Amino acid sequence: MVQTRTLVHRGHPGRRSHKFPRRGERLLFGLIGFVVVLPLWEIVVQAGLIKRVTLSSPSLIATAAVNDLFIKGTLWPHLFASSQYFVLGLGLALLTGVPLGLSLGLFRRLNFFLDPWLSAIYATPTIALVPLIVLVLGLGLESKIFIVWLEAIFVVVVSTMAGVRAAEARYLDLAKSFRASRWLMFQSVIVPSSFPFILTALRLGTTRALVGVVVAEFFSANKGIGFFINFSGTTLRTDRVMLGVIILGLLGVAMGEGVRRIERRYEKWRPDIN
Amino acid sequence: MDTGLALQARDVRMEYVDQATGERLLAVDRVDLDIVEGQFVSIVGPSGCGKSTFLKIVNGLFPASEGTIEIRPAAQGVAHAMVFQDSSLFPWYTIVDNIAYGLVCQGVPRKEARARAKPLIDLVSLTGFEKKFPYQLSGGMQQRANLARALTVDPEILLMDEPFAALDAQTRELMQAELLRIWSEASKTVLFITHQIDEAIYLSDRVLVMSARPGRILADITIDLPRPRRLEIKRSPEFIEYADRIWGLISTQLRPESPVAAAS
Repeated sequence: MVQTRTLVHRGHPGRRSHKFPRRGERLLFGLIGFVVVLPLWEIVVQAGLIKRVTLSSPSLIATAAVNDLFIKGTLWPHLFASSQYFVLGLGLALLTGVPLGLSLGLFRRLNFFLDPWLSAIYATPTIALVPLIVLVLGLGLESKIFIVWLEAIFVVVVSTMAGVRAAEARYLDLAKSFRASRWLMFQSVIVPSSFPFILTALRLGTTRALVGVVVAEFFSANKGIGFFINFSGTTLRTDRVMLGVIILGLLGVAMGEGVRRIERRYEKWRPDIN
Repeated sequence: MDTGLALQARDVRMEYVDQATGERLLAVDRVDLDIVEGQFVSIVGPSGCGKSTFLKIVNGLFPASEGTIEIRPAAQGVAHAMVFQDSSLFPWYTIVDNIAYGLVCQGVPRKEARARAKPLIDLVSLTGFEKKFPYQLSGGMQQRANLARALTVDPEILLMDEPFAALDAQTRELMQAELLRIWSEASKTVLFITHQIDEAIYLSDRVLVMSARPGRILADITIDLPRPRRLEIKRSPEFIEYADRIWGLISTQLRPESPVAAAS
């Protein structure tokens, strides 16, 4: 006994447990990146080592942000247009993708039938389809929504389908032993089992839809964040390009966090969260 | 089917094809079983002997290859309900919704099902835990909920598949005593599967000993111990005699490579 005890102490000489990292550590090291990189970037540009027009600089981007967001407010119509494409495209992807994923998980033959098509959609870069989509749907709202939908639907379908497969045999057996109808089994076992996967679908779909928005706006728009970035690039306004990119990044992070909050709220019955 | 019987099984055989090897395996062989109404009957046997398979056949989860199983049609409620080994409570339902689930499966509206579940919640001493989720309950409490769920549908015969196997030793003892109390109040016929000899003797009117695969009934032992039984009865000489006798039968069935069998 005594020996074991000394061994334990010798093995961990005053070392902190892995489970409890210092609280501030994450924030501290996270900030270092910004504190070092941003001034360095500014200095390099100010000193003329790199041209303003190629890389812009933090101060220029900040000025553009203040101008476009507050003083002139030129960015808002673009943001509004983008969110419209995003919400409609992703909403449609969920409305169609979740039922489709559930059906594909439930019906094997439907799965065999649709699988090659889904794989083809996934393998084809959406950009390659843009000319065709524009040709068929025109340059209006429809083509943008379709591009966003196309970009997001695959992950929604696949993730939801995995959820159906994840329904545990013991719950299905239980429902069977009580002679539950197929419909009741579906709503009491299969849907709740796949719910965490549907939330994952939402999270992955969000990221993909954002990509879809940019793709749609790059090639066939006269408004939207993607258009703003593209147009600013062609007019050599690198500060605005950077501003657009940063806004997209922030939106992506914010929405990811939003979905994670929803996940936490709806998973009351799960003992461990995260 | 004879009157006064809750269940009558004749010549039940279960054969299945192993998916991996393609071999035909005989899981249950020529099982005859009569259970008188209100009786508590246990089946004990070595692991993998087909006792759970037999129970699942009775429950209708899969069909027997041969033979017949008759269950007395219920005057009210259903013919049978199952208590599974793992509590298999839906983690996404509250306790009351889990317990009411059997009724919901019969088409009872959810609200009414909840109301009808209430007395059963009291019976298994879970009052006050209705709104909790399963993970908030201990293993023993989860099994109480599991039991209540099976009882809400008012089954003619209650099928229990090693319901206490996953509990720790002390909780298991308490749950056995608790089950006897509930059984005497609910007055149900019970078919109980276990690999624990003392559990079978303590609970049952009759203990059936099953052979190693293919499962056959080796012996049908009537347990002549007075009821109500207290846990102390497990230390009485009569009890130990029953335990020795059943262990003697089971140990002949254990495979030689098992160290326990070799030692005895």
